[in-house]
Amino acid sequence: MNPLIFTTILMTVLLGTMIVMMSSHWLMIWIGFEMNLLAIIPILMKKYNPRTMEASTKYFLTQATASMLLMMAIIINLMHSGQWTITKIFNPTASIIMTSALAMKLGLTPFHFWVPEVTQGISLTSGLILLTWQKLAPMSILYQISPSINLNILLTMAVLSILVGGWGGLNQTQLRKIMAYSSIAHMGWMTAVLVYNPTLTMLNMLIYIMMTLTMFMLFIHSSSTTTLSLSHTWNKTPLTTTLILITLLSMGGLPPLSGFMPKWMIIQELTKNSSIILPTLMAIMALLNLYFYMRLTYSTSLTMFPSTNNMKMKWQFETKRITLLPPLIVMSSLLLPLTPMLSILD
Amino acid sequence: MALVHKLLNGTCILRKCPKPSVASYPFLGTRFADYCSSSLQKPAPVPGKASSQRKTEGDLQGHHQRDVALDITCPEEKPEVSFDKAIKDELKNHFWRLKDDIVNRWIGPEGRPLHEVLLEQARVVWKFRGKEDLDKWIVTSDKTIGGRSEAFLKMGKNNQSALLYGTLSSDTPQDGESSRSGYCAMISRIPRGPFERKRSYDWSQFNTLYLRVRGDGRPWMVNIREDTDIIQRKNQMYSYFMFTRGGPYWQDVKIPFSKFFFSNQGRIRDAQYQLLLDKFWRLGSPRSRCLHIWCLVSVHFLACSQPPSCCILMAEREQVLVFLLIKALIPS
Repeated sequence: MNPLIFTTILMTVLLGTMIVMMSSHWLMIWIGFEMNLLAIIPILMKKYNPRTMEASTKYFLTQATASMLLMMAIIINLMHSGQWTITKIFNPTASIIMTSALAMKLGLTPFHFWVPEVTQGISLTSGLILLTWQKLAPMSILYQISPSINLNILLTMAVLSILVGGWGGLNQTQLRKIMAYSSIAHMGWMTAVLVYNPTLTMLNMLIYIMMTLTMFMLFIHSSSTTTLSLSHTWNKTPLTTTLILITLLSMGGLPPLSGFMPKWMIIQELTKNSSIILPTLMAIMALLNLYFYMRLTYSTSLTMFPSTNNMKMKWQFETKRITLLPPLIVMSSLLLPLTPMLSILD
Repeated sequence: MALVHKLLNGTCILRKCPKPSVASYPFLGTRFADYCSSSLQKPAPVPGKASSQRKTEGDLQGHHQRDVALDITCPEEKPEVSFDKAIKDELKNHFWRLKDDIVNRWIGPEGRPLHEVLLEQARVVWKFRGKEDLDKWIVTSDKTIGGRSEAFLKMGKNNQSALLYGTLSSDTPQDGESSRSGYCAMISRIPRGPFERKRSYDWSQFNTLYLRVRGDGRPWMVNIREDTDIIQRKNQMYSYFMFTRGGPYWQDVKIPFSKFFFSNQGRIRDAQYQLLLDKFWRLGSPRSRCLHIWCLVSVHFLACSQPPSCCILMAEREQVLVFLLIKALIPS
């Protein structure tokens, strides 16, 4: 793609998300979503083949449907409140429809079916943008309308997302699909605590973005899209193998790594609000995620998998740059001791 | 909807009725019609033609069976006519498969431990040891569009291989639109999960298609179709040639997936794409473009393998153009 055009499209994606996050007018928020959607399509189809076309089409159809639902909720809210300002949702119907629309945008169950298919169909770089940057805009709207969201619906979606994210990723060998199911599960954790303490949702989002960025950068660096190709990294770059181990365990939520922090905080917050069964179920279902991360770790880092290829260099058409990988690795694994600092977020 | 179709199929087999054709279900939607037409009725031979055909095949096989088409039941078997039993069996079967599906998730990908999936270097996907293996394939020819070719599939000697045989005729159907005709093919069925959900094969661990065949010395084509639920991808497929030697020895054909070239609506496209191996739906092997002849190929097994020497990702454009040039020069 022409670099100038690519820069313009990328700027439009950034601008769309910024408009959503900074606007207080519902129509501007909707416009921001549409700008973001239309600009991300050429980025998803950057490496053109029939599969990326299919993935982009699926993404467009799902997001467009979600935008339509969002507009419907905005208009119902306008009818009942007489204002366009994003303060509180005055009508329960509008609240439910808006929650469904934002859940569809985020990929929460039962609107999660597009996430693995779209992520699998696009390149690693596009998948990185899809699973990190594209979550910011809908999550910011959920954050702003959190006082008016129906608790039962949100918690049901959250628990089901954690379950589906864990269950769906169980027997995958494609790395992008594993990351997609991991995203669904993490979105579930974020939305579960949204009504109780939205700040923790933001914290979880930050940590999740850092870990996902790190994982994708490692996959891009080793040009791996399947478990088999990842299991051969010990032969090529043993350091990458170690970093994959640390990052995967962090994503699984194991202490003393960074990924444990949001899970700990969320369970603590839910327990403080006299909710015992819910965090217990969530913690148990997180074990499903941990199981497939551990399986990936076992074949990649804990065993020297038989490799038929004795070459130390993987055939690559261009040099892979490792941008920001060292600070990302540090942040995705060593932030747990900073947990007492979280009191400044209150 | 799929259950209704299975039910009708079940009752039709039990009552020895002809299978429901697409035309008799105008109101049930294109998907149902597509599902019906995906399992074409294999044609029964006309008595006059069959005898001359049998004479030719009798030289190869000696003893020749009466029933050629697969869906004609032997008169000795007396199927039960029980509507309720058919429904119950079908439901039980689907729920059993659903239970297996759920339990297999714990074990690993495709119901096998992960290390077994990652370590395997070759996997036999289709082999022919019994009639149930033949049911995984559909045999088709241009008879469906009005041509005069015929194709049949049956078990070979000692139940170790399958024999695809028939006659190819390049006589065009007299419909005023077709200018070329004459093909026969065997196409694998789309793998189905519980409740007839479409599944796909994940061959991303492999890079070569491995076939053991004994042909008639003529070139065949191997086609691969990926997930075609989206209408724009309905006519897309990846193809490569398979040149058979003519026997009597078995021939091992290894085709790297990178060799397959992309075509849409039967035409090779300038823009070629890598064959992505995680969503295989169908493998087909057609034979076309010849005079009125009989054709024959035996298939021992079809597998996919991962030879370490093969690591090219996709066919180069120049390779595709070379094949087009050769095709144009050699008179068919």
